Amino acid sequence: MDDDLPTDFQVIVVGTGMVESIVAAACSRIGKNVLHLDSSDHYGGLWASYNFDGLQKFIKEVNSDPKRQLQVYNLAEKWYIEKASAEESKAEGEEKPEDGKGEPAKKVWTQDSFAAEYRKFNIDMTPKLLFSRGPLVELLISSNIARYAEFRCVTRVLTWLSDKLMPVPCSRADVFATEAVGIVEKRQLMKMLTSIVGYNEEEMNNEFKDWNDKTFKEYLTHKGLTPNLIHYVLSAIAGGTNSMPCLEGVKECKKFLMSLGRYGNTPFLWPMYGSGELPQCFCRLCAVFGGVYCLNRPIDKVQTKTADDGKTVVTIDSKSKTLNCDHLVIGINECPKDLISPEPAESCDISKAVFITNGSIMKSDKEPLTLLRFPPLTDEDNAVTVLEVGPATGSCPKGLFVVYFITNKVKDAESDLMPIAEKIFDMSGGDQTADTEKPKCLWSLFYNVKDTSAPVASTVDSVHVCSGPDAGLDFDRAVEQAEQIFKKICPGQEFLPRAPDPEEIVFEDDVTHGPEFQREDEDAEGDAPKE
Amino acid sequence: MAKTYDYLFKLLLIGDSGVGKTSILFRFSEDAFNISFISTIGIDFKIRTIDLDGKKVKLQIWDTAGQERFRTITTAYYRGSMGIMLVYDVTNEKSFENIKNWIRNIEENASADVEKMILGNKCDLEAKRQVSKERGEQLAVEYQIKFIETSAKDSLNVESAFYTLARDIKAKMEKKQKEASNPAGARSGGHQLRNEPQRKPTSWLSRCSLL
Repeated sequence: MDDDLPTDFQVIVVGTGMVESIVAAACSRIGKNVLHLDSSDHYGGLWASYNFDGLQKFIKEVNSDPKRQLQVYNLAEKWYIEKASAEESKAEGEEKPEDGKGEPAKKVWTQDSFAAEYRKFNIDMTPKLLFSRGPLVELLISSNIARYAEFRCVTRVLTWLSDKLMPVPCSRADVFATEAVGIVEKRQLMKMLTSIVGYNEEEMNNEFKDWNDKTFKEYLTHKGLTPNLIHYVLSAIAGGTNSMPCLEGVKECKKFLMSLGRYGNTPFLWPMYGSGELPQCFCRLCAVFGGVYCLNRPIDKVQTKTADDGKTVVTIDSKSKTLNCDHLVIGINECPKDLISPEPAESCDISKAVFITNGSIMKSDKEPLTLLRFPPLTDEDNAVTVLEVGPATGSCPKGLFVVYFITNKVKDAESDLMPIAEKIFDMSGGDQTADTEKPKCLWSLFYNVKDTSAPVASTVDSVHVCSGPDAGLDFDRAVEQAEQIFKKICPGQEFLPRAPDPEEIVFEDDVTHGPEFQREDEDAEGDAPKE
Repeated sequence: MAKTYDYLFKLLLIGDSGVGKTSILFRFSEDAFNISFISTIGIDFKIRTIDLDGKKVKLQIWDTAGQERFRTITTAYYRGSMGIMLVYDVTNEKSFENIKNWIRNIEENASADVEKMILGNKCDLEAKRQVSKERGEQLAVEYQIKFIETSAKDSLNVESAFYTLARDIKAKMEKKQKEASNPAGARSGGHQLRNEPQRKPTSWLSRCSLL
């Protein structure tokens, strides 16, 4: 079946991570002939989401393949529940005749019941949020790729203060409702935030030019904010630590504030079924415009040759076939070492963890979707990003929550993250029906990922290397890099112009050169029934 | 904008390359047949609103965009689909055998209660036929899925196939609604991003100044 794969393309993209997929879509969209390959049998690479079965395969694969361990290591999976329920084989319905109308008892989960519902899990390797006014949201809307995806609003931002979880006031309603901040503090906070939002880039640089070598915390202290407020602004809003440079803190604050009020109570959106859907949305657009897709297709060798007309052609050997292209776009993890120049500097790797729990870290009337920025526990630690998603996001079956931890590595994933897990979960296993204050952790996975997010140059002009996922909260760096790569391949061309809606595509009879796109005058959303 | 329909159904076309998925789509949505659509370029989905028992049902029918060619359909393609047309070519044995693989693919990725239907397309090409109607029927019985032979070229049964699938989805949906007494059309999915912000960005600032 692979044999009818054409061999000559303008652009070949290897790897289906976020950056690669955006570039593939952008090239295909303006008419480039694109082939998109992945060595794996699924989309996304390190950006993928897995169902529970797929995740088990991923864990096995990492543990058995040394090449994989270059990217993912220290992988440790642990269960806190029984393999199978002891009484399950006995008649289950007879158990509770009394409380038929009472509060439904908490379900007792077993490893087997996880396996039975494996399809309902979508667990992310690179969980990320979108800022409501961030570059990815704008790109999804302007390119019309938004129609392939659905999102949920993050319902609350939490912080860890005085040894407990506290909601961070985001909207006016929150600010009024909160008792954690006094009225004088509220005024102070609002005055400062309002001034930050008001600055444009130039004014900002001007205003803060004396603060270049100082920290954001020093600035906040200088402004007379109380320790409580400093905590909110620095840790929860700017997502920083005591050492965060002032200007960076101001910029992060502005980004947070600018995204408020567009889609929900917080500045953030979460993609339904996980972040791993997003690269696929770009792949779909690439395919709709003629891009050819082939997974399970490792590449063996990359070479360059000079064609008769003096142009450089990149050739790729894959499954005993030679593929030619003008430009090769390749994910860092698939890229042969000799094409990278210079070797990327050693960077700080990423520590990650995933937990599956039987309740939210902080009870709420409606199902919450939570961002928690956990401040460093000691001066040596880094801040930890915590994301909690529930069944409404398509991440897990009813009754469960999936919680992600992400931080920059200090020692290893488990040492870096376990102390925080112990603060917000009950890690002791045992009776799941017991009414505990903290949710029970039922399953956990710790791992480290090599940080391959730094931009990398290639030794060949027509080979473009895409970075891997960073530890950051959003996709902004991926979008920015994809656009830069696109501009190198297609200088002067528009980056992902709006794709027409199906109603706008008008087919003329007996044209053999394919459909032409034409914008109709009528409202694109028109629903005129055919007949 | 006022809603011009009572129900919106997302339908998918699935099956091997070249079985005529795009032709079926065009026959149904445009009542046209053009053999020059060799592969599926630029076509995302097509829309047709039909009348079912006095209800306006908007069918949004998605094409594979050629991603079936090397079995690389994205999991995202299946999200939120309510009905799937499994298409094979009666003149191509392999495409018929692959229906089982596609069903497995659907079971893996689509929602568990998605309505399915099998179509044996190109039934106008009697002389080249490799798969008998009986075998198609047998397969359908085996999986308890409805089956019909179609010809997008001769406009045979395409219309009735979509009506049948839509009717089955509608019946299932109304049954569910009765049981759960959900408001019509309520969906459990997320939100799609639109260009119009729900609130003006400046409102945050004005809210600040209220304090």
